[in-house]
This record gives sequence, structure tokens and C-alpha cells, in this order.
Amino acid sequence: ADKSYTLRLAETWGPNFPIFGDATKNMAEMAEKMSNGRLKIRIDSANRHKAPFGVFDMVKAGQYDMGHSASYYWKGKVPNTLYFTSMPFGMNAQEQWAWFYHGGGMELMQEVYEPHNMLSFPGGNTGNQMGGWFRKEIKTLEDLDGLKMRIPGFAGEVFAEVGVNPTNIPPGELYTALERNTIDAVEWVGPALDLRLGFQQIADYYYTGWHEPATELQFLINKDVWEDLPADLQEVLRVSMRTASYDMLTQSVHANAQAWASIRDEYPNVKVKTFPDDIFKAMVAANEKVLEAYSRDNEQGQRIIKSQQAYLDKTRAYIDISERAYLNTMAELEE
Amino acid sequence: MIGMIMFGVCLFMLLWGFPVAFTFGGVALIFGLIAEGPQLFAFMPFRIMSIMQNTVLMAIPLFIYMGIVLQRTRLAEQLLESMGRLFGGLPGGLAISTIVVGALLAASTGVVGASVVAMGLISLPVMLANGYDKKLACGTICASGTLGQIVPPSIILIILGDVLGLPVGDLFKAAVIPGVVLVGLYIGYILFVSWRSPGTAPAMPRDSDDSRAQEIGKALMAIIPPLALIVVVLGSIFTGIATPTESSALGAVGALVLAVAYRQFSWRMMWESSRDTVKVTAMVFAILVGATAFSMVFSYTGGDYLLEEWMLQLPGEKWGFLILTMLIILVLGFFIDFVEISFIIVPILAPIAELMGINMLWFAILIAMNLQTSFLTPPFGFSLFYLKGVSPPEVKTTDIYRGVAPFILLQIMVLIAILIFPAFFGMSSS
Amino acid sequence: MRWLIAVDDGLGAVSRACGWVASVAFVLMMLNVFYDVVARYAFNEVSIGMQELEWHLYAVVFLMGIPYAMRTDGHVRVDVLYAGRSEAFKAWVNLVGALFFALPIAAMIAWLGWGYMLDAYHMGEGSGDPGGLPYRFIVKGLIPFSSFWLAVASVGMATFALRVLVKESAYDEQTGAGGLA
Ligand code: NA
Ligand code: NA
Repeated sequence: ADKSYTLRLAETWGPNFPIFGDATKNMAEMAEKMSNGRLKIRIDSANRHKAPFGVFDMVKAGQYDMGHSASYYWKGKVPNTLYFTSMPFGMNAQEQWAWFYHGGGMELMQEVYEPHNMLSFPGGNTGNQMGGWFRKEIKTLEDLDGLKMRIPGFAGEVFAEVGVNPTNIPPGELYTALERNTIDAVEWVGPALDLRLGFQQIADYYYTGWHEPATELQFLINKDVWEDLPADLQEVLRVSMRTASYDMLTQSVHANAQAWASIRDEYPNVKVKTFPDDIFKAMVAANEKVLEAYSRDNEQGQRIIKSQQAYLDKTRAYIDISERAYLNTMAELEE
Repeated sequence: MIGMIMFGVCLFMLLWGFPVAFTFGGVALIFGLIAEGPQLFAFMPFRIMSIMQNTVLMAIPLFIYMGIVLQRTRLAEQLLESMGRLFGGLPGGLAISTIVVGALLAASTGVVGASVVAMGLISLPVMLANGYDKKLACGTICASGTLGQIVPPSIILIILGDVLGLPVGDLFKAAVIPGVVLVGLYIGYILFVSWRSPGTAPAMPRDSDDSRAQEIGKALMAIIPPLALIVVVLGSIFTGIATPTESSALGAVGALVLAVAYRQFSWRMMWESSRDTVKVTAMVFAILVGATAFSMVFSYTGGDYLLEEWMLQLPGEKWGFLILTMLIILVLGFFIDFVEISFIIVPILAPIAELMGINMLWFAILIAMNLQTSFLTPPFGFSLFYLKGVSPPEVKTTDIYRGVAPFILLQIMVLIAILIFPAFFGMSSS
Repeated sequence: MRWLIAVDDGLGAVSRACGWVASVAFVLMMLNVFYDVVARYAFNEVSIGMQELEWHLYAVVFLMGIPYAMRTDGHVRVDVLYAGRSEAFKAWVNLVGALFFALPIAAMIAWLGWGYMLDAYHMGEGSGDPGGLPYRFIVKGLIPFSSFWLAVASVGMATFALRVLVKESAYDEQTGAGGLA
């Protein structure tokens, strides 16, 4: 019963990627301590396996026992993995966790990953992501027309619907491309991670987010490996992952607050903006259209969307009279 | 320990002269099979895929094509010879022109394989034809082709920015003066050598019938078109019309347009250039693929953990720490590539440096300066292999090894200068 | 003897065909990138599909170029010992290297790459980006496909070395692409 296990985990991030990478280290440390050393997790970052977007395949094939990544990266392989990271105009972090743990989200996620011989668990939340750095202010829908923006994935498709030209630029060329107007805007993550890339030096308009209100990373485990673990270690691992996921949100809030304070102090050029209402209206419509097309002829996808929307309606009604009411009160008091 | 033995064996095997790429790959395969079994190599498709998706490297075939077309149409030769003539009776004119073009390429891209190969194709034949010493010619090309790593935009600086958590823009700004100083020193060195031993870098012969004014006129005529091409390439980057990768395509198509304008174009020329481009590109990428197999076996057999252990035993005092760090990076640069060093070594050093109150920007520039040297240091310096891959058979590996030595010394001098006089380079040490 | 020459000539032709495919891909890639820049700058048009096609073609260029460069001696060697040696010395280096270094690694990647491609095929993997290209198994399949031809080129290197060893052919005839090899 005292057999010890070492699981090898591949993460999408580089070895020193803050916040995202801290989530795996935190999880591994907790698991080892709680199991009294019987469960060790060895983390290989992208510099070691050199396949940041191969995590899904490597865990599936058993080259790694575990993975740490984001579910929506796999939408090219398995379309219904899209829904478990964050959806435009979707739930915020607390609503989404409530959906996962109490609203049937976990069951749906396992249903999607099961055929690929893997289990997926929430792996840490960034909180609401910023809408991106723009070199010019966006006042009307026309300003978006033909705007060249680095915005990947599903949100890129929504933006494309309202006239934006989503553009692929390798991360290494992003700064130069934005600086020299090869592209007009860049979406990255939030203050803590954006600050490192230096966009605040070359773009004045920092837009608030709408497209990833609660980006949840994921832990992946090969199913054979999971079933091979004794029940107590399974529980240790489950709790470690869940705790690490929660810890990452608190760390994100902290690091973003700190980074935002320093951007505000050192870069007075940066102005925070929110898209005007008519742009949002167009994007909400575009989102529905893209989502409809995406999930057409896909019974499982439609079930997931329905589950999320129903849950959002329910929790949002409550959030409106609690969190939102409170924040509104505070805002009014400040004025 | 397996990693270290593998280095030794690989070095020995390289000596026999089997192609570098497959020697890397073959030795890695044998060691990987012994240490971990065949399943280890299931990672290779993923690694090859990430090279396939690395579009920054797409600049390599495109710049090579530009170089080959300019070479085949003799436009490059005219450009360099005319630039050399503009220097009048000054010996070393061709080498200086090479450095200037290399610096301009460096300011437009950070892909060393692209610049070394393009420069090797364009200027090596011209320098050799004009009686340059093989060693000096090779050293000049490798060194100026490698400038791309320190002169922004640069891949080393982007990776260091990521690893150290520094804004890329700050790093780019801080690297400008060191880059310019390096270019200045290269030119100074050429002037010095060609003055001391004129035979190594002869001045361009004058066209005896022409007056100086006519000569300059002729030179300008020859320079303007290819120079216009360079302006298009660089200009498209600086004005944001294109990314560095895309600008290489503008350069390639532009070279074809020039060939048409100078009545040098033929379908045959276009096709043969494309075939040669494929051959040279394959040479560069085979090395990248072989090296990735090698570094894979190195990490997965615990070589990176061993390095980490060593690094944790560094002295805890500022100057001792800095000097030892620089020495270790320099020595490691002989064996492993800069990406591995940036990701394995730098993260261990960074918190120690921060604790000592060292200015991280300065520290990053020191590391970048040091890492670009690793492209030139024998036996595994990639620039050396790349140049060898495009040189005529009379240029031996040893010519290249000996040719880069003085340039390596110059780089170490600049490194020491940045270490001692950070203020001169616009930085502070703490 | 005659069959050796026939086999080796056949293998050489196959490797040169790889080079032909890569050369065509190169021209297409150059035009592709050029078009993308012009379209974005002049017509403000961006197509992720066209952008992805760039790296699909670029992958063909270098992957299919590797076996070609092997046949035309384009891969760089450290020539400290090699240069100036007898034809027999070179033939032995190439024979042993081809059979014990190049062939095994090429065969290994071809074999493992086959599974890698099948996986993408079974999942129906495509691009994850808006307007990206479908059928990712094709570009992933380039890995086993090109490795297979590299294995073939390795055998070709060995058969050519045999020809040199029996003094039927010589290395100098094979090179000679100007300053390019
Ligand atoms: Na994002
Ligand atoms: Na550069």
C-alpha cells in the first residue's frame, strides 16, 4: 500500500512563465506533501518537450502521465473541448466554478475527454482577461473594419464577424509588429503578463475584456495512469489540483493589481477604454452566429452550450442582486 | 552524465566528416536507445512539427533565395565591388562593405541562419576572387552574419525578455549601443589588419582610365539597384508594411525583379536558384532537426538537471558571481545552443542576480552579448556550419575556425567593457 | 554489379524527385508570402488560411529538401580529416554513417511519425484559428513521408559508397554545384 508513484507532467508554458507555471509547481508541492512523498510530480516545461501544443497528444498517447494547458487549444482536434476554458460574454470565474462543481460542468467535460482516454480537471483561472492593446481609439464599428489584430481562436472568429482581420503573428515578432503598425492591436492576457511584453510602451489604449471573462486552464491525466493510482492518492491529486486552481485565481488578482498599479504610475500614456455599446451589440450578435454555426449538427456541443447558458441565467440573476449591486453602490459612493 | 559522454562521442564522430546533421541525430539515437529506449523518440515528430510551425524561420529559405539570385545575376558582386571601390585605395573595403550589409541585415531580422548563409553566398565568392585571405573573409562573414542576435530585433533578446520578465522594448533599446560598438570594432579591426598585412585584404584595383569622379559615378550606378532592394526589404520592416519574415519574401521577389530589369532573368536561372535554395535550406534545417534530437536526449537523460546542480554552487558575491557566470555561459556556448542556455541556466541565475541588486537589464545584455558569441565558437557554433555549407570546397573547416577567432576576442572585449563600464553603454550596473 | 548500378541510379532519381517537389514548393511559398503582404497592405485583406499555407509549404521545402541534399552532398561536413582523403576513405565514412547514423534515425522518425499522422487523421484535426486550414494530417504526414524518403536516400548514400569502393564511380562527379556543396 505504500508504493510510491512519480507522474510526469508536460505543461504548455515555458519554465518561468509566471502564474500559469506557478499553478503546476503549487499542485506538485501539495500533492507530494499530502501524500507524505508517495506521489511525486515531475514537471517538464515547454523548453524540455518542445511541443507546447502537443500536450493533448502526448498525454493521450501516454508519453506523459499528466498535462497542464488550456482546453480551448484542442478545438482543432476535438471541437467540444472549446467550451471548458472561457466563452465570450460567458460566465465569470466564480460562476464558472459553480457550474463545474455543481452545475454539471465536470460531467460534461469528462464526457468530452473520455473517448481520448483522458480526464480533465480545472487547472487555474486568470480571471477576466483584458480586451487587448490598441494603437488607435475604437469609437465606432467602422474603426474595427479592416483592423489588423492578433487575436487567436474563437474570439478571433467573433471579431472577424464584425470586420476585424485576425492575423497570425509569431509571439517573437508581436512587439515589433505592433510597434511598426504591421498590426493595429494585440490581445494577450492581462496586466501582469502583458507588462512583460512591453505593449504599454507602444500602444495607448487598453480595452476592457469581453471575450475571456474567466479563462480556466486545465490539468489532463491519462486515464490508465489515473486508474492505476490507489484511491487515497487519487484523492490527494484531486484536491491538489482543485486547490491549485483556486490559488491561481487569487494569485492572478494579486499580480494583475500590482502590475496595473505600476503601468498606471509609469505609463501615463495608457488609457483604459471600453468598447461603445453598439460595438458590443454587434459582437453579441456575432458571437451567437458563430456559436450557432460551430455547434450545428453537434448534439453534444449543443447540450454543453445549453447547460452553460441555463446556468449563467440562474447565477447571474443572483450575482446581479449581490456582487453587482454592491459594486454599483461602491461606484456611486465614490462619485 | 550520459549527456556529457554523448558530447564527447559526438565531437569525435564529427571529426570523421560524416554530415553534421546526421552525426548529431545518429549519436543521439544510439545514446537515447541505450538510456531510455525507443519510446523517447516518439517526441521527435512533435519537435519537428514545432520547427515546421516556427514561421520566424521561414525567413531562412527566402533570404537564401535572394542571396542566390543576386549571386547568379552577378548583381551582388557588382554591389560589393562598387562599394569596395568607393573606399578608393583603402584596403579592406570589401570586408567593410560586408560588415555594413551584415549590420543592415541584422537590424532587419534576428535569424542568424538566414544572414550567415545569405552573406556567405553573396560576399564570400567576391572576397575570394579579389584575393582576400580565406580566414579573414570567413571570420568577417560569420561575425557580421551573427550580429542579428544582438542588434535588435533579436531572438535572443526576446527569449531573455521572457525568461527574465523584462519588457522586450527596453531590451531592444539597451542593445543598440553595444551592437553599434561591436560593428565599429569589426570595422576598426579590418582597417587594422589590412593596414598591417595588406595582402590579406587587398584594395580594389582601380580602373586606370577612369578619373575618380567617373569611378564614383560608375560605382553609384552599380550600387543603387541592389541597394534599393535592401532599402525595400529594410524599409518594409521599419515602416510596418511587413514583418521581418514577410520582408524576406519581398526581398526574394525583388531580386527577381532586378534580374529582369538587368536582363539577367531566365526561367532556368529562376528554377536553378530555387533548387539551390532547397539544398542550402535543407542543410540548415537538417542541422536544426539533428540538434533537436541531440538536445532531447541530453535533457531526457538528466543533463539539464546536472547543469542546474552545478549552477546552484556559484559564489555569493557580486563580481565573483558575474565573472564566473559569464565564463560558464561562454564555455557552455561551445557545446549547447543559446535557447537551452536561456531556459536552463538563466532562470537559476536570475533570482541570485536580483538578490545582489544587479540591474537586470544590464545583466540581460551581458548574457545576450555572451550568447551571440556561442554561434561562433568552435566546434558546435551554428554560424560556422552554415558558412561551411555554402563555401567552395577550398575553404576548410579549419579556415573558418581560425578566421572567427579574432572576432570572438573582439566580442569578449566588448563583453568585458560592458561589464566594467556599463555607463558608457547607457546602462547602470545596479 | 550491374544491378548495384541500376539500384543506385534508381535511388538517386528518387532523391532528385524529392528535390523537385521541394523546389516547386519553394516557388509557391515565395509567391504565397509575397501575395499575403501585398494583399494586407494594398487591399487590407488578411486570410489566416493563406497565412497557414505559408508554413505548410515551407515545411515541404525543408523536409523534402533533406533527402535531396543528401544525394547531392549538400549537407555540411567537418572536413578536418575528410577533405583530401582517398575516395575509399570517404566511401567508408559514408557507408558506415549512412547505415548506422542516417538510416536508423530516418527509419525511427518515419515509423513514429506514422502514428503521429494517424492520430491527427482519426481526430479529424484542423486548424484552431478562424479561417484556418482543415486536414492537419496532411502536413503532419509530411514527417513520416519525408523521413521515409530520407531513409531511401540513406540507402542511396550507401549504394553509391559501394560504387565508389569498387571504383565504378567517384565522389567528385557527384558534387560540383558551384560553391554550393
Ligand atoms: Na488571451
Ligand atoms: Na537583429
